[in-house]
Order: sequence, then structure tokens, then C-alpha cells
Amino acid sequence: MTVALLIDGVGVDFGGFKAVDGFSMSIDEGELMVLLGANGAGKTTLMDLISGKTKATEGHIYIDETEITNWAPHRIVQQGLGRKFQIPSVFRELSLRQNMEVAATVHPAVLRNLGSRLPADRVRRIDEVLELVGLDTRQNELAGNLSHGETQWLELGMLIVQNPKIILLDEPTAGMTQAETLKTSRIINDLKGRHTLLVVEHDMSFVREIAHHITVMHLGKFLASGTIAEIETNEDVRRAYLGSGGIK
Amino acid sequence: MLDHKKKFELLSYVLLFAAILAMPLFMDDFWLNRIAKYLVYGMLGVAISLSWGYAGILNLGQGLFFGAGAYMLAMSLKLASPTSLNQGADKPVPDFMLWNAEPGAVTDLCCINSGSFLWIPFQSQWFGVAMGLVVPVLLALGLGYAMFAQRISGVFVSIITLATVLLVRLLVIDAQPITNGFNGLTDLGWFTVGGFEFDPYLVQTYYLVAVSLIIVLLLTHWLVNTRAGLILQALRDDANRTSFLGFNIALYQTFFFAVSAGIAGFAGMLYVIAAEFASPTFMDLTFSISMVVWAAVGGRNSLIGACIGAVLINVIAASVSETETFVEAWKAILGFLFVGVVLFMPRGLAGFTGDLVDRLARNGKAKQDLAPGDNAEKA
Ligand SMILES: Nc1ncnc2c1ncn2[C@@H]1O[C@H](COP(=O)(O)OP(=O)(O)OP(=O)(O)O)[C@@H](O)[C@H]1O
Ligand SMILES: [Mg+2]
Repeated sequence: MTVALLIDGVGVDFGGFKAVDGFSMSIDEGELMVLLGANGAGKTTLMDLISGKTKATEGHIYIDETEITNWAPHRIVQQGLGRKFQIPSVFRELSLRQNMEVAATVHPAVLRNLGSRLPADRVRRIDEVLELVGLDTRQNELAGNLSHGETQWLELGMLIVQNPKIILLDEPTAGMTQAETLKTSRIINDLKGRHTLLVVEHDMSFVREIAHHITVMHLGKFLASGTIAEIETNEDVRRAYLGSGGIK
Repeated sequence: MLDHKKKFELLSYVLLFAAILAMPLFMDDFWLNRIAKYLVYGMLGVAISLSWGYAGILNLGQGLFFGAGAYMLAMSLKLASPTSLNQGADKPVPDFMLWNAEPGAVTDLCCINSGSFLWIPFQSQWFGVAMGLVVPVLLALGLGYAMFAQRISGVFVSIITLATVLLVRLLVIDAQPITNGFNGLTDLGWFTVGGFEFDPYLVQTYYLVAVSLIIVLLLTHWLVNTRAGLILQALRDDANRTSFLGFNIALYQTFFFAVSAGIAGFAGMLYVIAAEFASPTFMDLTFSISMVVWAAVGGRNSLIGACIGAVLINVIAASVSETETFVEAWKAILGFLFVGVVLFMPRGLAGFTGDLVDRLARNGKAKQDLAPGDNAEKA
């Protein structure tokens, strides 16, 4: 198996406070890795480091052997990374379809986007994905009108048409009802194999639905890694989670 | 099938174009020349709408690009004026350079003063025209990239652009030997194409401006409807999100900033043709701010709205200021107008009429749905 994403001793120092501290892990191509950790463990910050939103003060990050540490975000994306934010982030003043069209753009350069229409296969893909996330009937509404859960799905849909090799999902089911969570796990399972995924999630029933492997982070550091069964019985993990009530 | 918004937009473009083109039927030469200048302001409204409304860049120094365009063409037209040609058509020298020349200086552009050689290529009018676009666009590319690559945004962009226009204004005034300082460039020759002279009071000159405005409106309308325009609007909505979709937002912002500057430069040239002067007042703070007010009142998110806002405000101002006492009061009125619009009509006239059309369309639809025949059809 080839490693798609390699994180090697990465850390960031926020004026003395290390939100992520010498953290390492690797994800194989086509694998789905779940990242667990208590509130404030540094999960979002790790995603910020991978995607170039925050600059690392130590360590190295590679996508397919290309080092991308501290590149500008758009260059990392062009290298094959896509991201969903913890606070769902879509273009609220554009219609759902326009959101998808922006995400489905083939060439990012300004001049390549003058005049050129979207290729027919991309248009078809947008139709498919809008149906997959269940928003096809509302595609002409403004994204600002969507509920929280629907916004999450739109952002997922944008990621899918963007079609990056590696996908980072930060709490994709936050604030969702049980039925909505189920639908989301179906969408994510559909992505497995075709993409390499790193998913931050608290909801253990959801994690059981989607995960192969779990990595646990604690106070910015790597704590443990393994299958769900291994993690659930891991002593270090139990101890780290004692304060916050343990893994449910 | 066009939805009602698109229909309304199309209608407003057609009406505006028709009104502009029909203007000479109703106006005498004097008013036609005035309207031509206001159409130039309308073009500035379009430029502001593109950068502020579409790109989210509130440029408080648009006068810099307008002024740059104006000066570039005015230099050429100055060299073409009879007073500059007194010592022969092959040796034009602007009158102000002669007045200020050191005793014994060679009265030639090469060396009458240390900076006068810069004027030499402007003996060609088309060089002036080319520079009228190239200089503002290059300035905007440089200034824009310097700001946007640093992720400078919002009010800081406004402050930087504002400071820049004031700085350049000072430099222009200070470079008196080659710019005629405070007085600017006056007593210009006429813009000439293929032997035809565009006397500002000719109807042809009006049409030169009018058709230019129509072309600019059509081009910008096309531009914002391309995929690049869509990405630009996405960027205004959420710049972060856009860069995490792989777009280099600095390049997008710089590109549209430069297009807006090019339009302003073009407007500056047309203004020189219609008004026969270029002056540092083009780079006054009040002028750059006025443009923003026009666009805000007309509706910054609408190219045509901002354009109409600029023209209307100036037509009203001109009518009002016929009466002496109103001239000062007008400034206060304009200020109140701006505050009022920002508070109560944040999307300007265009947003207001847009909402009105929405409501009418919805009422119309509701009536249709109530019509018995329609129901029967659905059932
Ligand atoms: N820019 C910053 N400057 C200083 N401290 C920061 C910064 N960003 C994050 N932190 C801190 O780093 C720690 C880790 O935050 P992070 O958001 O990565 O946690 P998390 O694991 O995603 O938590 P949650 O489950 O609540 O989302 C927190 O204590 C947070 O306050
Ligand atoms: Mg987080």
C-alpha cells in the first residue's frame, strides 16, 4: 500500500502553547482514518496545519512524497487535498448550484475561467452529487437559506465534485439528528476507497459505521492508534478520557 | 425561459441604452456635453461596482486610475493644441514649459527641463491612448498584488488606496515642470480620429462617450457572468473557502482590481475629450469618495444600478446647483442621501427596485394560481 498522507513530527507553537506537538501519522491510499480526541486536543489545528491554514513551527507533511509543509492553501489543494470545516463553510450568497459549480472548476486560473463553460461531464457530475446529498430539488435556492445539516451536506457535495485525492472532514455530523447522521455516514461510506479520508468525529456510533482505523490525539500529542476494538480497550486512551467521561 | 429577474435586468439595460442613444433628440449642445461628462461618471460607477460590489474591494482611491488615464491622453492632446505648436509642428512644446523655462534653455521637448523628455512619445495621440489604459492597469496590478498577496483586505485596502491617491496627487502637483502642477493641463487640442476632430460640443463626441459606456457595460456584464465572475463572487462571500477550493485569491482580486482600474482610466480619457482639461482635482479625496457614494446610492451589487446612480445624482446636482444657494446645501444633501441609503437601502436603488419586481412577480403569480382555469389545468 502506498502512503497518501504522511505527517512527520508536526507541531505548532502559539506563543509558548503547543496546540499540536510533534505529531506523526500516516494514512494509506484509499483508507479512512478517524481522528479522536477530547475538546481542545488539537484536531482542528492539525487539519489547519495539513491544509496550510496555520503554519507549522516544526515537522514535515507530505502528499504522495511531495512535501507540502507550509505551502499556501490553494497550492496544497492543487496538490490534491480537500477540506470540510468544523463550522460549515459555503458561499451563502450564491445558489446551491453555483456553489457546486465553483467547487467543480477544472482549472483554477483566472484567464482559464473567462468564457469557458463547465465541461459536460462536470455538469453531469454536479447533477449526480446534488442528488446524492439530497439537495437536487433545491439547487436554485441561496445557500444561506439552508439549515445547519443541509449546509453540511452541501459542503460535502462540493468536496465530492471537487474530487480531491485526500479529504479532511472536521466533525461532519455535528448538530445532526440521528437520521441525518445516518444519511451522512452513507455518503461518507460511498467515498471510501476512491478517496483517502481523515475524519474528526466524536460520535462513536457514527465512527463504528465508517471507520477502519482510529488515531487518538491527546493534548496535541499522538496517543494511540489501531482498530476500534483496540482503541476501546487501550489503557492510555481510557486514562486520557477519564476526565471527559470516556469514549461512549 | 427567463425568470423575472433576468427579464427585468434585460429590460433595464435596453431602456438605459435607448435613453442614452436618444438623448441628442432632446438636448442642446451645452446639455449634451454635460450629459456626456455624467455618462463618464456612470462608467466610474461601473468600475466601482465591479471592484466594490463584485470583488468586495472598497477602493477609496479610484481617482488615481481616472487621473492617470486622463493625464496620459491630456499630454497627447496638449501637444496637439495650437499654442504648443507655435514654433512648428515638428517641435511642439507645452506653453507652461516655455513660461517656466530657464533663460537660454533649448525650447525642445528633449531638454527644455530635466523631465520634459518624458513627453516626447506623447506626440503620437495613440501612444497617449495606449498609456491611458496601460498606466492605470499596471499601477493597479502592482498596487493590487502588493496588497492582496499579503491577504490585506477590508478597511485596510480602503486606507491604502486612499493614501496612495493622495500621495500621487501630491507628486503630480509637485512635479510642476512636467505636469503644470496645481493648474493641470488645459488648453488642449481635440481628439482626432482619421481626420475627424471630436469637438466636445459635437453630437459625435457625445456618441463617442455614449457608445463607449454601452460597450463597457456589456463587457463588464459579460465578465461577471463568466465562471471567473462567479468565482469572484464566491471569493467576496468567503475568501477562505475559495482558497481551500484551490483558487489563488490574490490573483483573482488583482485581476478584477486591474480591470476596474482600466475602466476608470478609460473614463478618464473620455472625460478629457469631453471636458478639455486634466487636473489634480481628479485625485482629490472628495472625488474618489463621491464615486463610492454614487455607486452606493445606485446599488453597488448592480453594474447598471451603480451606473444609473452616478448619472442621476449628477444630473440632479447640476439642475439643483443652477441656484446659487443650493450649491453648498447640495453637499449636505448628498451626505444625508448616502447615510440614508446605507441605513435604509443597503443595496441601493437597484436592490430596492429588484425587491419591488420580486414582490410584483410574486403577487402576479399568486393571482395566476387563484385563477380557476389554471387550477383546472393542474388537476
Ligand atoms: N490560533 C490559535 N492561537 C492560540 N491558541 C489556539 C489557536 N488555535 C487553537 N488554539 C488552541 O489550541 C487548542 C486546540 O484547539 P483545536 O481547535 O485544534 O481543538 P479540537 O481538538 O479541534 O477541539 P474541538 O473538539 O473542540 O473541536 C485549544 O486549546 C485552542 O484554544
Ligand atoms: Mg475542532
